[in-house]
Amino acid sequence: MGIVEFQNVSRVYKNGDHEQWALNHVNLSLEEGKFVVILGPSGAGKSTLLNLLGGLDNPTEGTITVDGRDISTLNSNEMADYRAAKVGFVFQSYNLIPTLTVIENVALVKEIATDPLSSHDMLEAVGLLDHKHNFPSELSGGEQQRVSIARALTKNPKILLCDEPTGALDSETGVTVLKLLLSMAREMKKTIIVVTHNQNIAKMADVVVRVKNGRIQSCEEQANPLSVEEVDW
Amino acid sequence: MLKRKLFRTLWVYKAQFISMVIMIGIGVGIFFGFNIEWYSLKVDTDEIYEATGFADFRVINEGGFTKADLEKVLAIDGVTDATRFLSVNTTVQNDPDIVALTVSENMNISGVLVTKGEAYDPESPDGIWLSDSFAAANDIEVGDEMTFVYKSITLGGRVKGLVKSSEYLICLPDETQVMPDFHSYGYAYVSPALIGNALDKLLPGLGTAGFYPQLHIKSELEKKDLVKKLEEVFGKTYMVLSKDETVSWSEAQGEVNEGKTMGSVLPVLFLAIAILTMVTTMHRITASEKTQIGTLKALGYRDAKILRHYTSYALFIGLAGTLLGIGIGYLLGWYIMNPNGAMGTYIDMPSWKLYVPWFCWLVLAVMNLFLTAIGFLSVKKMLQGTAADALRPYSPKRMKHMRIEETKAFKALGFGIKWNLRDCLRHKARTAMTLFGIVGCTLLIVGSMGMLDTMNAFMDAFYDKAINYKTRVYLDAESITNAEAAELAELYKADWCAQRSIQIEDRGFVLEIYSVTRDKVRFPDQDMEFFTLSDDGAYVCGRIARDFNLKVGDMLSFEPFDSDEKYTVPVAGIVSSMSESVVMTKAYADKVGIPYTVSTLFTDETEIAQNQHILNSQSKQSILDSFDTFMELMNVMIVLLVIAAVVLGIVVLYNLGVMSYTERYREMATLKVVGFKNSKIARLLIGQNLWLTVIGIIIGIPAGVGVLKYLLVALASEYELKLVLGPATYLTAILLTFAVSFIVGLMVARKNKHIDMVAALKTEE
Repeated sequence: MGIVEFQNVSRVYKNGDHEQWALNHVNLSLEEGKFVVILGPSGAGKSTLLNLLGGLDNPTEGTITVDGRDISTLNSNEMADYRAAKVGFVFQSYNLIPTLTVIENVALVKEIATDPLSSHDMLEAVGLLDHKHNFPSELSGGEQQRVSIARALTKNPKILLCDEPTGALDSETGVTVLKLLLSMAREMKKTIIVVTHNQNIAKMADVVVRVKNGRIQSCEEQANPLSVEEVDW
Repeated sequence: MLKRKLFRTLWVYKAQFISMVIMIGIGVGIFFGFNIEWYSLKVDTDEIYEATGFADFRVINEGGFTKADLEKVLAIDGVTDATRFLSVNTTVQNDPDIVALTVSENMNISGVLVTKGEAYDPESPDGIWLSDSFAAANDIEVGDEMTFVYKSITLGGRVKGLVKSSEYLICLPDETQVMPDFHSYGYAYVSPALIGNALDKLLPGLGTAGFYPQLHIKSELEKKDLVKKLEEVFGKTYMVLSKDETVSWSEAQGEVNEGKTMGSVLPVLFLAIAILTMVTTMHRITASEKTQIGTLKALGYRDAKILRHYTSYALFIGLAGTLLGIGIGYLLGWYIMNPNGAMGTYIDMPSWKLYVPWFCWLVLAVMNLFLTAIGFLSVKKMLQGTAADALRPYSPKRMKHMRIEETKAFKALGFGIKWNLRDCLRHKARTAMTLFGIVGCTLLIVGSMGMLDTMNAFMDAFYDKAINYKTRVYLDAESITNAEAAELAELYKADWCAQRSIQIEDRGFVLEIYSVTRDKVRFPDQDMEFFTLSDDGAYVCGRIARDFNLKVGDMLSFEPFDSDEKYTVPVAGIVSSMSESVVMTKAYADKVGIPYTVSTLFTDETEIAQNQHILNSQSKQSILDSFDTFMELMNVMIVLLVIAAVVLGIVVLYNLGVMSYTERYREMATLKVVGFKNSKIARLLIGQNLWLTVIGIIIGIPAGVGVLKYLLVALASEYELKLVLGPATYLTAILLTFAVSFIVGLMVARKNKHIDMVAALKTEE
């Protein structure tokens, strides 16, 4: 059994009489420690998949099991506990708290995580220890995304969920951030799930899931994924 | 199309808009209400003063004035009209009620306004024109017969009309009474003929000559000039009271001034909060609408059109709030100013029309212009630069490091505290406004409840403790000797008091000479502590001490009326007194040689036998009962003010809370995504409110005490009040403010459950 199991999962948004099937009877199994890329055009359902997996939303039907626990029927508080313990998020728009300094943003998650790592060590690992007393607004976009990665990993989650993590960055910074993200997650043996429409990122993945019109089109393992340097950016 | 947008946007920001409208409504309502109150009182009382010829001066001579005296006065240059006047307290036969029997020879002065029945007839041999309020309270109708008794004289007649008179606008038997009680005290006008017949029976010829101990004068002269001219005419000094020294004028003017004070202090607080909240709200709304403003600009809308559109929000809020406020104002004005309302139980006048002073409209117009200008400037700021600049979302100020962050204490703080602290410093205007709302809430509760404490302490000191007798017996000072009075005092185991009218500089006061051997009367000092009068000098009341700048040890000079003597005595102390009086012991009066006749006994006996020297008696209970209405009214006002305080607190805090919530929506969504539970985020939000509440209370309590002190100074000419604040007041202010803050925090925090994490995190910062 994989660390992530989707069994017949659907997510339907109702707008009056109109029903929109964001996910339509999806089945998916992902193994622990893999780097998974979910590819698809806008509106394909990839973000919905990530939101359900991240405990930000509940499915309309079906079962989602993460690390052996069914998360599809959790209530609000149980979802919060799940997010605090199992998943780390990295967003396209960083989502740092503007009124907390870099170190405080990272240390923030220690208030709720069950088994957190040292925020100081994580900040050192992303190379921003010198900026620890800066506010987010004093950093560049790439630096802010690195803080966001440090924050996600400090929680010591089983799974790292990344929604277009390089979407707001120029390609050079994007590559640097991606490299850091992958090396750290691999070193810490985390399962990484990245949602993107960037085909290049998919070349580095262990598993590539293609989504279209709310359905899984394919789920392929890549025998020889490329390294960041090998990809033609 | 933009009009549709206007209404839809109003709906989107409904919480802010509604709270703004309520804030402005309360501010305008209180401003309007109190100004309507004092101004209507002024206009309505002026109407009855005019209609019944309220006299400018009263000259008093216990021996009475002759027709020749009146002629002399009428001949004085500057006197426009005058009348001989009599007012004497009589008892209603077979009834304990007291009626001031009144005759004015010339009814153009100190006359009446007939509200029912026949017009006043100066020749009527049996006509009684009775106070309509007294008639209503005692079920007396036109046509009923009444008999009044004064000493051995009995006067009977038939009620021919019901009347009101400005002479008895505030119908009090004496200065110890605070509120009129028409069940037990009223007035009646009779013709000179009726009283003449009665007097003729007593002493033939007396009725024809008439007995009038007062002259009422209409004159534009200054009091000192009139006094001088009267001295020239009569060759002696009579006691002259200007209208400022009569209850029916001074107390009504006191009410007008009180209304003016209330109409200026309280509304300033509410309107200032409303305007400041408007500044913050309009800024936030235009900031969050910035991309829409940019879009309209990019589409080709001219700046002027966009400005007009967004400015109309402020105009709309201002006008809606103003209309609500005018409604509340009229309601408040009517509540106080109606014949059955607060003022109706105090002031007895025929017309209760409401009037708005002109400046109120001006203030409203200026306020609305100002509010509109706030909207205009907020939008103008967002429109600056090119269309591309306007399209960029509004970015709040960048965070700056504070010195305090270097301290160990700050570093040791939890993340929530740091978060809230920095948020407060980043959004200083919002924080200041929240604080302002909390301070306002605490201030109003402390102020209003403190006023109640102060009035209760005042009542307790003056009426419960200072009055240590059960019955007050009025003696006929004209016929009794001091030896006879001493016998009566011994019979009733009473203490006694003698009164003389005196003049200090050019103002009239009462000298009270006491013999207190049985502890029936007590004297409170300025701190409301009771003390025993010493035989070393005179005691002046707080108002005389203040007006003549007298301290203990200073010398006080006064002249009794009807005599050429002048006394200069040391001030032995300052007493708190209901009346403006000078007090001394019998022993000291004897030492200085001031003549007096005993006029009042204070006893625990409740059965007072008929005696030729006893005019009437009054029980302590009847004095206390007259305050019930007064205290009930006071309680209602306090409850209304406390409700206003709570509404103010809720509206301001909710408006700013929602604003803060909207601004931090993304931050809270982030916290939620990383795994913070709703309850923990709620604690953070409520935490910020509660700290601000602590600071607000710390500022609000002394501010409330300050406002109360200011009000007491403003009321000082009416009452000698000592500021008293009970622990319950402090506790209520603290608990109520905390409760408001906590409940509003909870209301805002409940929104956490509905945070759309996904949508919030997708948005651009």
